[in-house]
Amino acid sequence: MLYRLSTALVAVALVASCTKKKELEYGLNPAETLTVNLNTEPPTLDWSKATDTTSSHVMNNIMEGLVAYDVTTPDLQLRPALATAWEPSEKASVWTFTLRENVTWTDGQPFTAQHVVDGWERLLNPATASAYSYFLYDIKNAKDYNQGKLKDFSKVGVSINDKGQVVVTLDKSKSYFPYLLTHASTYPVRKDVIETHGDRWTEPENIVTLGPFQLKIWEHDKSLVLTRNDNYYGTKPKIKNVLAYMITEKSTAINLFDSKVIDAQDDLPTTELKFLRERPEYKSKNLLGTYYYGMNVKKAPMDNVLVRKAVSHAIDRQQITDLLAGGQIPATSFVPPGMFGYEKGLGIQPDIKKANELLDQAGYKDRSKFPKLILGFNTNEDHQRVAENIQAQLKTNLGIQVELQNQEWKVYLKTVRTDAPHMYRMGWIADYPDPDNFLSLMTSYSENNYTNWGNEEFDTLVESGRSVLDKEKRREIYRRAQQILTQVEAPVVPIYNYVSFYLVSERVKNYPVNQMQRRVYSNVEIKK
Amino acid sequence: MNRTKTIYYIVLAVSILATMFMNFMAFQVPTALWALDGLLVVGGFVGYIYSQNLGVYVIKRFGEAILVLFVIATLTFLLLRVLPGGPFDQEKALPPEVKANIEAKYKLNEPLYMQYYYYVSGLAQGDLGESYKYLGRPVTEIVMETLPTSLQLGFYALVVAFIIGIPAGVFAAARHNTWMDNTTMIFAISGVSLPSFLVAAVFVLLFSFGLDLLPAAQWRGPEYYLMPVVILGIRPAAYIARLTRSSVLEVIGSDYIRTAKSKGLSERTVLFKHVLKNSLIPVLTFSGPLVAGVLSGSFIIEQIFAVPGMGKHLIQSVTNRDYPLIMAMTLLFSAMLVVANLIVDLLYSFFDPRIRLS
Amino acid sequence: MSTVVEVESPIGVVEAPKKKSKSLWSDAWARLKKNKASVVSFYFISFICLVAIFADYIAPYSFEEQYLDRVLQPPSWQHWLGTDSLGRDLFSRIIYGARMSMAVGIFTSVISLFIGAFFGAIAGWVGGKVDSVIMRFVDILYAIPTLVLMILVKVIFDSLNLFENPELKALTSILLALSIVGWVTLARVVRGQVLQVREMAYVEAARAMGARSTWIVMKHVFPNILGPIIVLLTLQIPMNILFESFLSFIGLGLQPPFSSWGVLASEGWRSLRYFPHLIVSPGIILFLVMLAFNLFGDGLRDAFDPKMRGKS
Repeated sequence: MLYRLSTALVAVALVASCTKKKELEYGLNPAETLTVNLNTEPPTLDWSKATDTTSSHVMNNIMEGLVAYDVTTPDLQLRPALATAWEPSEKASVWTFTLRENVTWTDGQPFTAQHVVDGWERLLNPATASAYSYFLYDIKNAKDYNQGKLKDFSKVGVSINDKGQVVVTLDKSKSYFPYLLTHASTYPVRKDVIETHGDRWTEPENIVTLGPFQLKIWEHDKSLVLTRNDNYYGTKPKIKNVLAYMITEKSTAINLFDSKVIDAQDDLPTTELKFLRERPEYKSKNLLGTYYYGMNVKKAPMDNVLVRKAVSHAIDRQQITDLLAGGQIPATSFVPPGMFGYEKGLGIQPDIKKANELLDQAGYKDRSKFPKLILGFNTNEDHQRVAENIQAQLKTNLGIQVELQNQEWKVYLKTVRTDAPHMYRMGWIADYPDPDNFLSLMTSYSENNYTNWGNEEFDTLVESGRSVLDKEKRREIYRRAQQILTQVEAPVVPIYNYVSFYLVSERVKNYPVNQMQRRVYSNVEIKK
Repeated sequence: MNRTKTIYYIVLAVSILATMFMNFMAFQVPTALWALDGLLVVGGFVGYIYSQNLGVYVIKRFGEAILVLFVIATLTFLLLRVLPGGPFDQEKALPPEVKANIEAKYKLNEPLYMQYYYYVSGLAQGDLGESYKYLGRPVTEIVMETLPTSLQLGFYALVVAFIIGIPAGVFAAARHNTWMDNTTMIFAISGVSLPSFLVAAVFVLLFSFGLDLLPAAQWRGPEYYLMPVVILGIRPAAYIARLTRSSVLEVIGSDYIRTAKSKGLSERTVLFKHVLKNSLIPVLTFSGPLVAGVLSGSFIIEQIFAVPGMGKHLIQSVTNRDYPLIMAMTLLFSAMLVVANLIVDLLYSFFDPRIRLS
Repeated sequence: MSTVVEVESPIGVVEAPKKKSKSLWSDAWARLKKNKASVVSFYFISFICLVAIFADYIAPYSFEEQYLDRVLQPPSWQHWLGTDSLGRDLFSRIIYGARMSMAVGIFTSVISLFIGAFFGAIAGWVGGKVDSVIMRFVDILYAIPTLVLMILVKVIFDSLNLFENPELKALTSILLALSIVGWVTLARVVRGQVLQVREMAYVEAARAMGARSTWIVMKHVFPNILGPIIVLLTLQIPMNILFESFLSFIGLGLQPPFSSWGVLASEGWRSLRYFPHLIVSPGIILFLVMLAFNLFGDGLRDAFDPKMRGKS
């Protein structure tokens, strides 16, 4: 009996496996469906609240902001999206946005300027408790409103003029302001939809969007399906569906890629890169991001600028990037290449001889008197490989002892924020492609600066860089600021610039690969 | 009395088996049939308890369980606050104003005893709160959406474990001290000798890429279930086999079996009628923790085979410091363990009428 | 990996010996010697222990030295088992891994045994209110999912930085996390054993004669429950070694650059398709050691089992 039942089961399983393999889930047609992996469940699709890359990945496909990057230009120029034009006032403290007409939401309602204002009000409303509300702190009175000090939103510098344009008044002149509006948190919202459905407004049956795709299915923790939005104002996507799985384990994702279940996988397992990069499906692109080590200048011997410089000179970045083997670019400057303000040759170059001279000058001729350095990083295979390599390099190149200290991510964040070790690992990926996004990290008042280093001239330079509209003047300002940061004072050691790597099936054409890792699938085509 | 008990027991067993079969084959079954099936399961269970006069006992045990869960909730709550790092700490540090808004929203700015008070009063109303990571989603919803898959995986694995483990154990015991016994036991020990992630990697390489028989991952139908279920089942199967073997050996050595044998009953009859029934009791004792163990242990298998279960939340909620979700996961697993133990105790009285529950 | 399953071992079957000790021990020894698998396993375990102790003399390279020009090399004469992704010699890492893995396995088992035996014995011997308080606590700990408890304890202790010595620092949080989970089962078992022995005629006789409790416990109870406890210990060691690999899998294992078999297994399993040498040798050694401990433990149990006396 049991035997028969089990043979029957196996037979059914075999038959099922033969019939099922060809077809996609939810009855989607493989010829017009791109299958990708999101890696994790998007924490939320509420763009006023989301802070993570997975959520942005989905949101950027179903929504649009006032402006967007033109990913085809090398330095990511802005292109019109929901706004067709934007004009700064003479000092760039007032910006006027002209909105596109005849844009409709997926429920047929027309898009209006009020939706933009609603979105910003919601982002800044303290009750929303959005983590990215500070994105709009440049707007006049916005911070007060977000803190609850100001109850009346009409006093915040956002208004609609009689031409239906959105007029934004900033607290000071800010040249980079339009760039902020590429970020998902500033997208317009439909308050009526949110009020009707509450927290469930992001479920497929409720959500209303206006991007190239719309959310059709969302099986939490498993997969979601985007379909083409036929009411989209711009060029309509060439593929009909995007099926996105949430597969956490990278090696599993690679297995599924090899079984032709998914068409593309980013975030590849780094140990296997050596093999994967030989494959024809491999693609990579440098990202606007820097992997660096910060030094706590309050902790001896890091309070001595000569020691900081010596350490920076002693680390051969090329060796590290060779080790990681993913095509990462060795970095000495804090601003990444591909971004305005980047200059080759800025920063402290690897030079072992110089490093030793500097350390001698600093009074550590007898290396045994040099205190043991603590090098902190959060537990992760790659960070570990970098940290272990730096440990080895400092030992051979300078003859100093380094102790590694790895901690679980949130413990690590707490450690660096309260009492950072001599050297700590951090990374930054651009929110928007402007050097201000990087250099303002290291101002003396920045919450992201754990080095305890502060420099008045640097602070002023960063501050003035924000309001200057003239490109050449700005470039000059940022050159000086970077010199202070990475050459004169050297509280940070840039290690390398991030690279994103993908495997993309050969049946996929025009897979979006760009330096902001914006994956909008509008142009993707599936080869027959 | 004894007969009604058996009837209820059979109803229960059949309806549970039916549920599993329908579920495994992913049949499109009308809701009414599911409802009927559910009714049968519950009815069979209640009837069984009633026929055994175990009502009071069960209620008492439930009372104790709630107390235990309450202590666990408190303990976990405190442990979580000792854990360094907060739920909203992230790579990009937030300005203090923004942090204040978030903390106000989740009442994290209030004193600890007030937070505890809110938590407990929410718990009393069955409200476990909203996730701090999956914004706006109640944790009960997250659990309800992912639990069924994990249960599915876990129960199949248990079925595999019992189907392989018990016969293997009996077989080895019946051939005690022969090479067959030794081989079976070496196999059983091998089953617990490797971490499951390694076994999974080898299986995938072999069956998905080497032989191209089974899909490498995902959870979409019977052929997808096979590998994860078997790998998850190997370990408990090995334990059950070893346990059954020693238990059978013990029973075989006991006096009444010798008597039965001397009365001239065939070896087969003795083995199946007397030995097996008696030696299953220790196996049963072991099944309570086994159920909970398999369910919570499915995490690695779920990760490697991309099974959309809740195992990952058990780990990730801790790394995310998603307090409400960690609390919900802990309470859920504790409750499952407690319930599994209760069921095991109830089944005792079926297998061994000498055991009186009170 | 099933969690509770591993803690719960089939020890419930073992019963306390009914007679007194001397003949029991020699009997057990004689029976153990006849079990070839157990004897071989015992020698193998001893060998691994020696390797662990003398790792510094055996390993051709250091466990942390990186040879960046030889990253991810397959086995060769220079590196017998190849090199890992940082160019470290895998053979040496396995040798040093023996030290860490055995330390984790043995120390956790011993620590949880001491805690478990202490509370279990008190609960079983004193009985009454003390018993019910201890056992309630044990029940509650038992009902918390092992995984969550283990992770919480590990993360909390990791953040405390109790020791300066890096080796100790790496080990302590793992030892604590595993012991906190492990002692609970042991407490239950020991309590059960003590309860049984307590009711036995000679113990009651000793009590009736007015012997002091501690004396009875040391003289009569411990020798009698020692057998089952040793068996349990032998079976706990492999479980703890596996648990350690599991902690490594979720990224909470031993701190780098130290190496253990668990660390190697969890670093290597993803590479099975591309760099099989990274996982094959650690996998095999892990498998053999697990097998040896389990076979030896089973042999011990059979040897101590009173039901088996006079047989075979």
